[in-house]
Amino acid sequence: MAHGTRVFLLAAALTAPTLADASATGSSKHVRATLAPEVASIQPGRPFWVGLRLEMEKDWHTYWKNPGDSGLPTRIRWTLPEGFRAGDIRWPAPHRFPTDPLMSYGYADEVWLLTEIRPPAGVVASVVTLAARVDWLECEQVCLPAKAQLEIAMPVADAPPATGEHAAAIKSALERVPVTPTFTPKVTASPAELKLQVVGAARPREAYFYPGRAGVIEQALPQKLRRLREGFELLLPRAVNGSLPRRLDGVLQLDNAAFEVDVLIEGAALAGAPNTAAAPAGASVATLPLALAFAFVGGLVLNLMPCVLPVLSLKVLGFIRHGADGRGPLAHALAFSAGVVVFFLALAFGLLAVRAGGEQIGWGFQLQSPGFVVFLAMLFLLLSLNLLGVFVLGQSLSAAGNLASGSRGLAASFWNGALATLVATPCTAPFMGSALGFALGQPAPVTLLVFSMLGIGMSAPYVLLASSPALLRRLPRPGAWMDTFKQAMAFPLLGTVAFLVWLFGRQVGIDAVGWLLCALLLVACGAWAYRRAASTAGPRRALGLLSASAFVCAGLLVGLQQAQATPQKGARLADGWAPFSPERLASLRAAGTPVFVDFTADWCLSCQVNKRLALERDVVRDRFRAKGVVLLRADWTLRDETITRALAEHGRQGVPLYALYGREPAQPPRLLPEVLTPGSVLAALDEL
Amino acid sequence: MKRFAVIVGLGLLAAGLVTLQPTPSAAAAAVGQAAPDFALTDVEGGKHALSSYRGRFVVLEWVNYDCPFVQKHYGSGNMPRLQKAYAGRGVAWLAINSSAPGKQGHFGAAEIKSRSKSHSAAFSAYLLDSDGTVGRAYGAKTTPHMYVIDPAGTLIYAGGIDDRPSTDPADVATAKNFVSTALDEALAGKAVTVATSTPYGCSVKY
Repeated sequence: MAHGTRVFLLAAALTAPTLADASATGSSKHVRATLAPEVASIQPGRPFWVGLRLEMEKDWHTYWKNPGDSGLPTRIRWTLPEGFRAGDIRWPAPHRFPTDPLMSYGYADEVWLLTEIRPPAGVVASVVTLAARVDWLECEQVCLPAKAQLEIAMPVADAPPATGEHAAAIKSALERVPVTPTFTPKVTASPAELKLQVVGAARPREAYFYPGRAGVIEQALPQKLRRLREGFELLLPRAVNGSLPRRLDGVLQLDNAAFEVDVLIEGAALAGAPNTAAAPAGASVATLPLALAFAFVGGLVLNLMPCVLPVLSLKVLGFIRHGADGRGPLAHALAFSAGVVVFFLALAFGLLAVRAGGEQIGWGFQLQSPGFVVFLAMLFLLLSLNLLGVFVLGQSLSAAGNLASGSRGLAASFWNGALATLVATPCTAPFMGSALGFALGQPAPVTLLVFSMLGIGMSAPYVLLASSPALLRRLPRPGAWMDTFKQAMAFPLLGTVAFLVWLFGRQVGIDAVGWLLCALLLVACGAWAYRRAASTAGPRRALGLLSASAFVCAGLLVGLQQAQATPQKGARLADGWAPFSPERLASLRAAGTPVFVDFTADWCLSCQVNKRLALERDVVRDRFRAKGVVLLRADWTLRDETITRALAEHGRQGVPLYALYGREPAQPPRLLPEVLTPGSVLAALDEL
Repeated sequence: MKRFAVIVGLGLLAAGLVTLQPTPSAAAAAVGQAAPDFALTDVEGGKHALSSYRGRFVVLEWVNYDCPFVQKHYGSGNMPRLQKAYAGRGVAWLAINSSAPGKQGHFGAAEIKSRSKSHSAAFSAYLLDSDGTVGRAYGAKTTPHMYVIDPAGTLIYAGGIDDRPSTDPADVATAKNFVSTALDEALAGKAVTVATSTPYGCSVKY
């Protein structure tokens, strides 16, 4: 080669990279795009990363592969030499840009979008040019489409390449690309949401799922994070007018770590579409005024339940005995109401707080705990012993039962109200059930409002009586009959004890019942010992009190210890019924078999009534058989998260619930009313 | 002691009310169900209620003349062409602007009229929804975002105008237009095959 040519070529070689470097960067109005390789040269056969660096002006952003509700993802179209291949963009974990009511996913400030370039094994040229046509959308308030034509020229050398000046930046960008997780998330679909569950990992402080494509979830809505017993779950609201793919793909951000997710969606075939089952069919309460009305009536009816009737009727006795003394009956009545309402609110608040913590519980949760049942049984026993006169609280024998006392100040009335609420818990009146079911599915303030209305309904008759001097005058005069009445009131309470013991037996077993009865015996002994001690003085009194407490504590310990025993759920089903499980239901429905699901619990009195009056009747059983309906029983007597979730899917938070599924797998079930009659069941079956 | 317990209890209650936030739900119009009724004023001052269009097919087009995606369809003549063609078949084409005052895309009536004229737009009316209620009721996310409602008032299509999300006018010719397909099928009495698609465009500036 001539000397001049060599010089020329050298000059060209020296200047060419500089010329090429000039077009490695392109700018739009608000973004500068630069193409930067991680290595200084290309070794044939050795893949290397090329980063597209986007430097954005303040407040301007570009988009992720799923831009969100609007926008366009950044796109790179490569023009490469013969044999070179480019991979897809490796996107770093995106960020959220919410603009109510919309959501965008993308990047602000600076982002490196990485592409892997794979050179072939044999490269002829000594310098190759990698060209990329980059299109993006940059947005602040307005959106501007932008593009740049970028090029880099790189020498080819057989030796392993030296690291380029951008290697460190590219390495840290690679670290921001989501990784494959060590856990396997599970995704289940229901009409309103997708549940992404992770088992075995600790609940993060924050979690967010970026869907890989639009139209699957409502991207602007918040995602609720709930703790599970062994992990956590994220609730993703489904998109209206969207589609449910077979797999859910995207990026799961847990605190500062981002994970690539791509899992099969379970239950997709039967999940139905969102917005088609907005309010459950059947006689359920769907509006707030109706719920409040039901709650009020439910509260009124509660007064008649055997748990509550004795307590309240004794309050009335208090009026009779003490007439209009001190603050007057109305003030006491209002204090009583305050006690009732405050304690219903406390119960509601407790329920909400436990649910917010991730536990799957619904109304009736208190009776699902055998320990609480033991406590209630003992409380009721003590109350009935008090009414029977076995013992009294207070110094003097002549203070005839503190339950009936009305003259010890407003505070006492308040705490009487609290007691009334406590004893009301085992008895759920019919209207109460649907009102509470509605309430628990609503925002917290609504729930608390409905519970307050329940309290107001329960204390209403009492307040009404106290505020009307005419009615007060019509009360019978004090007399010996009062003692008889008081003692008679003990028996409904003992009846409640019997119910609670039966319930405990169904929950834990007959042996435990034997022990519970012993525990109750100990408590009774303690009550009697207390009475003996109260009538003495000095050291004998102290000893007596001590032994009384010892008896009661012993009883409590025995009872609670029995409550820990393994609950038996096995052979408790009546014949013809099979236990409910979501899988069994799904497979029956896929086969087109009609199914009737009875969500019930032993402590739910309306469920028992419905069973006796409607479901167990021969004519109804025969019709079930004739129509080929499979009967599933979801027994919620004890805590069961699966059943709680199944109830929630129908928009309910408590039992009873009766769901009749037809022969069409895609059709939603028909929900029967809370109060069943044989006629209504037969009518529903005839429509199958 | 009792009073203290009550106060503590009520304090916890108040704290709970603050922390237990409600779960919001998307109450946007759903394909297959009744399209939400609305009453809006157009740029000429006329009043339009969706219920008054019962008996005709209605197309709702969310629009923003400053958005490059909308400019792609107006600049290429695609949107005016569709508007004119279907107006001839009795379809009411309503353009809706949900930009809030002060936000991009919010123009005065005079400017809207002159820009519509310069684009040769052929919609039946250009409705102003500056408080965004109708946009939110329909879940309108982008401009353009298209909805088709049948004569009975049922929403039969909701989504993007076509399957080419870009700002390049050249893409209009090769794209599959979902709105014209849905209208053609529905006008012929057939079921709409593609009832939803992912909408693309600039975000609606609520």
